[in-house]
Amino acid sequence: MRGFLEYVPGSSLLHRMNPVTKLACSLLAIFACFLANSLVFLAAVLVVDYVLAARCKLLPQTLGLSKAVASFSLMLAIIALLTTPEGTPIVGLPWGYIGTGSLRAMALVVLRLLACAIPLFLTFYVTKVNDISNALVKVCHVPYRYAFVFTSTVRFIPVFMNDMEGIMEAQTARGVEFDGGLIKRLRLMAPLCVPLLVSSVRKTNSAAIAAEVRGFSLRTRESGHKRYPFAPLDAITFAACVALLVAGVVL
Amino acid sequence: MIEFQNVSAAYEVETPAVRNASLTIADGEFVAFVGSNGAGKSTMMRLANNLLAPTEGCVLVDGVPTSELRASQLARHVGFLFQNPDRQICCDTVREELEFAFRVQGRLDARAAKLVDETIERFGFDPDAEPYLLNRGTRQLLALASVIVGEPTTLILDEPTTGLDYLECCEVMDVVSGLNQRGATVLMVCHDMELIADYAKRLVVMTAGEIIADGPTFDILRDVDVCERGNLEPPHVVAISQRLAAEDSGLAGTPLARANTLDQMLEAIDGARQTGKGNLR
Repeated sequence: MRGFLEYVPGSSLLHRMNPVTKLACSLLAIFACFLANSLVFLAAVLVVDYVLAARCKLLPQTLGLSKAVASFSLMLAIIALLTTPEGTPIVGLPWGYIGTGSLRAMALVVLRLLACAIPLFLTFYVTKVNDISNALVKVCHVPYRYAFVFTSTVRFIPVFMNDMEGIMEAQTARGVEFDGGLIKRLRLMAPLCVPLLVSSVRKTNSAAIAAEVRGFSLRTRESGHKRYPFAPLDAITFAACVALLVAGVVL
Repeated sequence: MIEFQNVSAAYEVETPAVRNASLTIADGEFVAFVGSNGAGKSTMMRLANNLLAPTEGCVLVDGVPTSELRASQLARHVGFLFQNPDRQICCDTVREELEFAFRVQGRLDARAAKLVDETIERFGFDPDAEPYLLNRGTRQLLALASVIVGEPTTLILDEPTTGLDYLECCEVMDVVSGLNQRGATVLMVCHDMELIADYAKRLVVMTAGEIIADGPTFDILRDVDVCERGNLEPPHVVAISQRLAAEDSGLAGTPLARANTLDQMLEAIDGARQTGKGNLR
């Protein structure tokens, strides 16, 4: 998972788009997926997601992330399966039954999470975090302090993942075996949250001090030299995503 | 004994971190691995403890391939001290931290409790202190103590003195040296040549994933070509003795030109004065 949500340089259509458009479009796609109740619609969005990823030469990363999201969504899907007694009954349960509607609900959960997660991942892969933050400040007039918090959070994800990897390595060297079932692994990993938390607090503190001494508080909307103009392509893509949202509501 | 047999390793497929390394480290040796950042030293340490599996070749600990040993089995024999103690420390009190390895290895019995008590006394720790509130040097000592409390026969140290002041550094190295004198094998990655000259008996120099020199510490440190290729700066005494010999032909071949420690140098200066060799007055 090295490189998780880290910018991958490129010259694809998505790379060239305005960061605000990309962020807005991915949010519209997320809303569309959550509002849609059609398996076909979600499957179509998923296909478009993968086509876009392939066009940006990010298919391997996207498939890797899809695997992680699918594993997570599987847990939610099982809950949906057991708690949605709809359609023709297939298996009886003490509190209801599993029916054809339950299976549909299960598929909906998996497809919905996959289809809405990929656009957001792609946005981060094709846009520098600094550009997202600067564009939010310049174009959307978001106070820099908030934009910085957002981008710092994203930027720290790979750092913390690297830290966690190092901590697990150190514990493995002491004889901790991180193999076996999920419950065992979770039980072993729980105490490791302490060093991770300590390291996070220390890093955050250092980053805050470093930002302050470099004039963080003096920064205003005018401080950034880079401009983020909108091109016709941005307008077309935005319109397409609004259409997608409408389709999601209707379907 | 640790054996590296034609070992290659990589974190990413296209960029090998270690290439075809072969090396045997006998019981009781004190070996330092030196070289520039990215030379493959830490990778060698990870290979020795099976934290990283070789892509080619084999690493054997006491004749057994590390791939055949579970982490808990290997941890009994090979202790690993990391550069950053905060990645290692994970318990609420010093005592729990020292007991941690015994607990995860399923060895927390009366003997383990005795070893923990002895370690607390030896290092002068407060057993109920919170590890994260200790200063950096004490945290590093605690991390070292929590490794050696289990009495591993081999100790791997990956830049153990980074961020420590001189006294803390001496404290850590004295503990390590004591263990080595009692028979433990020590493998250490370090950039401090003075420290290496004081403690290590054997030096392995690495560059771009390859071992370019392996031998007695001062033989390597006196090899100008190896030092240049490995980006090594010899310790001051060695550098001064080499400079004296180079600038005063009368001193070439004398004990002064071979002095590795301050005591040897002072003795050699007295000798040179008495014999009238060189231009020393």
